[in-house]
Amino acid sequence: MPILELDNVTKRFGGLTAVKNVTFTLQEGEIVFIIGPNGAGKTSVFNLISGFLHPDEGSIRFQGKNLSKLPPYQAARLGIGRTFQIVKPLASLSVLENVMLGAFMHTGNTRKAEQEAKKILEFLQMAHLENFPARGLPLAALKRLEIARALATMPKMVLLDEVVSGLTTSEALALAGVVKRLPEWGVSVVGGVEHVMQVVMKIAHRIVVLDHGAKIAEGQPEDVVKQPAVIEAYLGAKYKELTQ
Amino acid sequence: MSSLRGWRLWTLLGFLAASTGLPAVVPNDYLLQVLFRIALFAALGLAWNLVGGYAGQLSLGHVAYFGVGAYGLALFTEHSVPKWISVFLAASVAALFAAVIGRIVFRLRGPYFTLSTIAFAEVLRLTATNLNMTGGAIGLTTPALFTGNSFWTLFYLAAVFLAFITFLVNYWVSRSRFGYYLLAIREDEDTASAVGIDTAGYKLRALLISAFITALGGALYASAFQFIVPDSVLTIDISVQIAIITMLGGAGTLPGPVVGAVLLLGASEMFKEQFKESHLLIYGLLIVVVVLFLPEGIVGGFEQRLRRRKKPPADATALAPGGN
Repeated sequence: MPILELDNVTKRFGGLTAVKNVTFTLQEGEIVFIIGPNGAGKTSVFNLISGFLHPDEGSIRFQGKNLSKLPPYQAARLGIGRTFQIVKPLASLSVLENVMLGAFMHTGNTRKAEQEAKKILEFLQMAHLENFPARGLPLAALKRLEIARALATMPKMVLLDEVVSGLTTSEALALAGVVKRLPEWGVSVVGGVEHVMQVVMKIAHRIVVLDHGAKIAEGQPEDVVKQPAVIEAYLGAKYKELTQ
Repeated sequence: MSSLRGWRLWTLLGFLAASTGLPAVVPNDYLLQVLFRIALFAALGLAWNLVGGYAGQLSLGHVAYFGVGAYGLALFTEHSVPKWISVFLAASVAALFAAVIGRIVFRLRGPYFTLSTIAFAEVLRLTATNLNMTGGAIGLTTPALFTGNSFWTLFYLAAVFLAFITFLVNYWVSRSRFGYYLLAIREDEDTASAVGIDTAGYKLRALLISAFITALGGALYASAFQFIVPDSVLTIDISVQIAIITMLGGAGTLPGPVVGAVLLLGASEMFKEQFKESHLLIYGLLIVVVVLFLPEGIVGGFEQRLRRRKKPPADATALAPGGN
């Protein structure tokens, strides 16, 4: 059974249809990336899955449970972790405290939350930053902090919205290495990326391509990037030349 | 969050001992009354700190709970409920009232939230001014909880006790999951809900505790002056003073509200004697100086400076490449 199923999901903002009849599934342990140009509806899809928006039509099921009207905090408690495209650290708290907040979802004990947070920071190679205030960290660290906080809730799935945008290539590839290992922790991944195809090709098991809110392609990364519709809408003529 | 051990614990105990011993060396009732106000507003500031400091919800309507405490004491005792029971009944009514108000005002954010808290308090003031039951603009008499020669000493000690209990509540909050959740709500509500925090629910819980304690303070105040009118216990001035005291001392810090109450009320009292009417000018200047140079409040600014000094060198933020 897939862990996540979107079935003909539509979301409108007034006259604008941000998400149009989008259907896709995520299997347990899978890493799926949603790609598409700016404004394609990626962030809306993440907001729909995590309860920050609710679909006008269609249904979203997580482990068989319908999410359609659930508020964000309950979606989180079901095991849906997320990061934000525009990083949202709890600025005046330390890195450790930021991650502890995630751990507090399943323990009321401050010390236990602290231990778990430290373990996760270790995994993300951020242990040396734990006492810094989140404010003033470089972007690469903030992106990792978003992931760390989400992982601390012990999610079954994480939604990583633009997880590598704004990073240098080497920072992005380093972070991709971390994301690739998430299924080992029992975490399935839906990522969203506007460009940085290098990262997507390296770690995605499957790609869903959105354009103007609609799904225009889906499949293995190598196959998808060869489809004319995808090249037209997204990758551009220059990429076409490169692949030939 | 620093724990209450070592020098911190000793400072707290020393401060508490000094506060309780103070009446022995204070020569007159007038000064005791000033001390009572300082201790009472320290308690009120600490209660407000839960909502306005930790949860970051700038309420300017806390006088509503203060007033419910004051009027509750008057009305319950009027119906021959024992006075101490009346105090706690009044505080429970305030908490109940907070549950209703909170459900409405917490739907709003930022300035809209603040304005709506003011509006509710004003509605209450106008209601008390126009109802026969509350004595209208003429007001009500309230029973004295303490009597006898050491009247002001006992009221002062009661206020110190209330402040101490509220300090302990703040301390517990600052160390618990509940407190971390309030901080998360203050910093970013979206992030808070993304880690499973029921933001509306936690804000409401903070407000219930805060309203209960604020009402206890209101009842104590009403009882000390034995007479209340809407303009004395439901005026927006009290809401503003509670908020300013806390922000001046440092909202979201443990000692902040106490420091704020001592400095602001102490200074205003001192200047009142020396500068007569112009003391309000100095009061205002003091606030401007703190807002300009210590926007996090006195304690907050101090803590921040300490933290900045602890900052490791810039290259410590470099990240090792991720695992592969």
